[in-house]
Amino acid sequence: MTARPTARFVDLARALRVVAGALVITACSGARTEGLDANKLPEDVRADYDIFARRCSKCHSLARPLTSGITDDQQWVMYVNRMRRQPGSGISYEDQERILRFLRYYAADLRQKEAERKGAPPPPAPAVVPLDASAPPASAVFPEPATRGDGG
Amino acid sequence: MIFGLRIGPLVAAVLVFLAAIAAVVEPARALERNFAGSAQLDYHFVPTTKDAKAFPRAFDGFTMEFAGKLAVDFSEKVSANMKVCYGCHGFEADMMYFDIRIADELNFRVGRFSPSFGAFNLRHDPANHRLSDKPLPYDMGRMLRMRQWNMSVLPSPFPDNGIEINGSRFIGQSVQLDYAVYGVTGFKADARPLDVDFKLSRSPVTYYVDNNGRPTVGGRAALTYSLGDSSDVTLGASGMFGTYDPENRETYLIFGGDLSMRFDRTNIRVEYLARRTTFDTSDRTVFKYVVADDRGDFFMKHGAYAEIEQALTSELDLIGRVDGMYRVGNIEAASELARRSSVIRYTVGTAYAIERGLRLKFSTELWDFSDREIVSGRRVDLGMHAALAGSF
Repeated sequence: MTARPTARFVDLARALRVVAGALVITACSGARTEGLDANKLPEDVRADYDIFARRCSKCHSLARPLTSGITDDQQWVMYVNRMRRQPGSGISYEDQERILRFLRYYAADLRQKEAERKGAPPPPAPAVVPLDASAPPASAVFPEPATRGDGG
Repeated sequence: MIFGLRIGPLVAAVLVFLAAIAAVVEPARALERNFAGSAQLDYHFVPTTKDAKAFPRAFDGFTMEFAGKLAVDFSEKVSANMKVCYGCHGFEADMMYFDIRIADELNFRVGRFSPSFGAFNLRHDPANHRLSDKPLPYDMGRMLRMRQWNMSVLPSPFPDNGIEINGSRFIGQSVQLDYAVYGVTGFKADARPLDVDFKLSRSPVTYYVDNNGRPTVGGRAALTYSLGDSSDVTLGASGMFGTYDPENRETYLIFGGDLSMRFDRTNIRVEYLARRTTFDTSDRTVFKYVVADDRGDFFMKHGAYAEIEQALTSELDLIGRVDGMYRVGNIEAASELARRSSVIRYTVGTAYAIERGLRLKFSTELWDFSDREIVSGRRVDLGMHAALAGSF
C-alpha cells in the first residue's frame, strides 16, 4: 500500500489546520510562561526568584519544581541540595541559599493558599534564613507579601 | 592470588565502600519523597518517503514517551531514585539506584542508571529539550534510515547496571568541577559481531546480565564557569571503553567533548563524540569491501551537533540545529552505506509554552545523505515534527 506524496501533504494540511486552531484558542485564553510572573512577586523576592529561574531552567522546565507540591522547607533543602550536586548545575552555595529563600516563600504561599482553601487559620509567615550573620533578619527581608505570587 | 586473580584491589575497593556506608549511617528520620513525570506525544511526518509504511526506515507517525520518577531522600547522605519509562520499546527501567554520599566530592551511585557521558544525557528527557527529537549522535530510533546506520554513536539514554563514583566541587563562587568514573555492564552482541547490537543490549531474551562478564569502564570530567547570574560556560570530556561480544574479543571505545554556553536567554551547545568499534573478520565474505590485513577490523562512527536556543518571548523559543554523522570503515555486503558515508540534518523549530509545564513543539528537518536510498534513489529527505510535551 503506497500513498502519493501529494495525498500525504493534504493530510498534513488538515492536521496543521487543527493545530493552528488549537493555537488560536490557546492564545485567546491567555498563555502563561513556564515560570511565575516576576512582576506579581514582592520586590524582595524577585532577585531570588531570578536566580531560581535562571539556574533551575538550565536542565529542566521550571514547572518541575513549581508544580511539585512540596510545601515542607526541609524537603526543599534536600531537593535543592540534590540539584546543586548535578554536574554542571552552576548552583553555588550562595545560589543555593538564594534559591531556598525563594522556595521558602513559595512554599509558605502554597501553605497559606491551602489553609485558605480549607478555611483553616493561616499558618505563620515563612521562616527565612539570611545569607550570612550580617544580613537583616528574616522578618525584615520577607515581610508578609502584599501581593501573592503566581503560586499555581 | 586466588584463581589466578589479584584480589588486593578488589578487597580494597570493597573495604572503602563498606567504610563509606558506615560513615553515612545516621539516625533514621522521616523519608522525603518526590514524584515527578513527563510525557511527549510526537507526530513525525516524512513526506518524501516513497512508501507510506516507511518503518523500519523511519518512525513515521505517532510516538509516545512518558516517564514517572520517584526520588526518596533517606537522609542528607543517602537517597534513591527510580524512573520508569514507556516508549517505543514498551516499559523500561531507566533508573533504580542509590546515591551514598560521603561528601559533595565523593558519591557512590549503585544500581541501574545512565552512566555519565556527554552533556546531552542530562537533558535526554523529552520535556527537557526544546525539539521533539535528540541530536543525531544520541538518536535512539527517530533518525531516517536508522537500520542502515544501526542508529547513532551512543543512543541516549543508555541505562545500565553498575556503579559510578562521582562528585562535584566549587572553587569560589564561579567555578564548578565535576567528575565521574564508572563500571557498567556495557553493550552486547552475539558471537562474531560486526557491530554493537543495541536491541540485544536492552532485551530480556538473554537476561539482564552481562554477556561477557567484563565491565565497560568510563568517565567524565567537566568544568563550569559562571560568567554572572545569567551566563555560564561548561566544557566537558568523556570516554568509555569495553568489550561487547561473549568472547571479549571485540571492543568499543567512545570518546567525546562538549561545550555548552548560556548567555542570558540564549543557549548554544556544541558536542562531538565518536565510537571506534572493532568487528570480527573471520568470515571475509560477509563484507562489502576487501578486508585489509592491516587495521581492517574496525570502523569509526563520528557524530556532532551544534544548536542554538533563543527565547523570543517568555512563551516562545526558536531553535536551530545542525547535526550529523560520518562513518568510515568496512561494512556488511547488504548495506546501503559505503566505506565512507555521511548524513547531515538541518533543523529549525519552535517551542511554545501553552501552560506551565506544557509545550507545543514544531520543527522541520532537511536530511542530506551521502548515499542514495535503494528504492527511491533519493539522497535528500524532509521531515516534520509536531509534539506536545509536558512535565510535572
